[in-house]
Amino acid sequence: MSQIRFDEWVREIREAVGCECEPYDGIQNEYTIRIPAANLRDVMGILKDRFDCYHLSAITAQQHEDRPEELEVIYHFWKGEGISFVMTLPLESLVIESITPDLPGADFYERELAELYGVSFSGREEIPPLLLPDDWNQPPPFLSKKD
Amino acid sequence: MRKITVPIGPQHPLLKEPLSMKLEISGERVLGGTLRLGYVHRGIEKLAQQRTYVQNVHLIERICGICSHVHTTTYCSAVEAILGIEIPPRAQYIRALMCELERIHSHLLWLGILAKHVGLDTIFMHAWHDRELVLDIMESISGGRVSHAANEIGGVRFDLDEENETLIRTNISKLHDQVSGVLDVIENEPALQARTRGVAPISTDLIRQYCMVGPIARASGLDVDLRRDDPWPPYDRLDFNVITHPDGDAWARTIVRAEETRESLHLCEAILRDLPGGDVTVRAPRKVPAGEAVTRSEAPRGEVFYYLRSDGSDQPARLKIRTPTLPALSLLPEQLSAINVADIPVVLAGIDLCIACADR
Repeated sequence: MSQIRFDEWVREIREAVGCECEPYDGIQNEYTIRIPAANLRDVMGILKDRFDCYHLSAITAQQHEDRPEELEVIYHFWKGEGISFVMTLPLESLVIESITPDLPGADFYERELAELYGVSFSGREEIPPLLLPDDWNQPPPFLSKKD
Repeated sequence: MRKITVPIGPQHPLLKEPLSMKLEISGERVLGGTLRLGYVHRGIEKLAQQRTYVQNVHLIERICGICSHVHTTTYCSAVEAILGIEIPPRAQYIRALMCELERIHSHLLWLGILAKHVGLDTIFMHAWHDRELVLDIMESISGGRVSHAANEIGGVRFDLDEENETLIRTNISKLHDQVSGVLDVIENEPALQARTRGVAPISTDLIRQYCMVGPIARASGLDVDLRRDDPWPPYDRLDFNVITHPDGDAWARTIVRAEETRESLHLCEAILRDLPGGDVTVRAPRKVPAGEAVTRSEAPRGEVFYYLRSDGSDQPARLKIRTPTLPALSLLPEQLSAINVADIPVVLAGIDLCIACADR
């Protein structure tokens, strides 16, 4: 993907979804766009329908040391080159709309985020345990939350 | 007919690593099932955040006992991207050589397991015997048969000498003959065809929906290979064929992996032929400046994905790892529906499971 093509993607997503859609050049080897979490499902639809981009490599969640009150979530897609969507969620409301109705392959990635970071995914059935023990009754192990 | 739930695993003779499946069975038919992972979840992503970049090379190597080298290659590439260093051309070629040797031994290991599951013990013994030739090469280069510790940040820890190169050429030449012989047998063996043809077919559409990668995707007609489509040096300078098959069944997955083994043998020869001279490492600082990078590599089972964020210290602030078995497992319940009970081992072998990779 050339920079020109990437700019076209940004413009088309911005026009079609009508959301804030800011290019971010912080991740090497990956074209990256910051979007509001509320628009993820719409952006996903544009990716599949208009750009034939359907391959989700992974979903990364992380907390930045200088922004401990929020969780950053990155959806890493690939179509010849990497293209990522970054969104932030406040710790008091870790909810994202599930993309599994459009992309069933996101199932295990969403379940991992739910278990390890306590993210809830709306629009899908209850998430059964995937990685943690059945009797796990502690807070999500990868999430740092100050009471 | 009455429906019953059969638990398989987490410990079961069918499985080489722990995995729990609950299968709904009616008579001889499997109707569907659910999966449970995590029995070898070691929290490696979290552990990596508590170790230095250098220590992590050895931690990362232990994610998988089969494709350990491609994991460290992908990890080191991410660190090197943030550091802004380019490893010497000779190191790039040695890394790729080890990746291809790993692919050959992984595919031969898998072929042996498949053959064992369908009752072809002769092919099992041939495949695993031939695999020893590859392990001998890796041992001669690094001293390790499956954990090689060949990579370091900035290059590779071992150079090739004349003795290594002679052994590689000799063993690759033997493997050409032996892999051709095994391929000839499996292509014409009625028992193998009867057990794999038409078993658990996956359509290209399903492959796309489940974000499948590697030989499973290629066996369903999806022409994708990161070595060609998103190449890292020296694959951008190497010529090879991407093997695909239109059928999408267990037979197609067998043929794709067997043919890929042959392509990797050719790649090893090309790498040796074009091997540049010079150093095999450049000095890398222990602290990594703040930054983020994504790297992907084509492991024997498909795309390996690493995301790394540095905060300027000598330890990663975040390391995300996605291995190719994870998407394959997400499709497994779908594959296990509407098959015969006797085909369960063939379906599992066809995926080439690596649970340790998927759990991390």
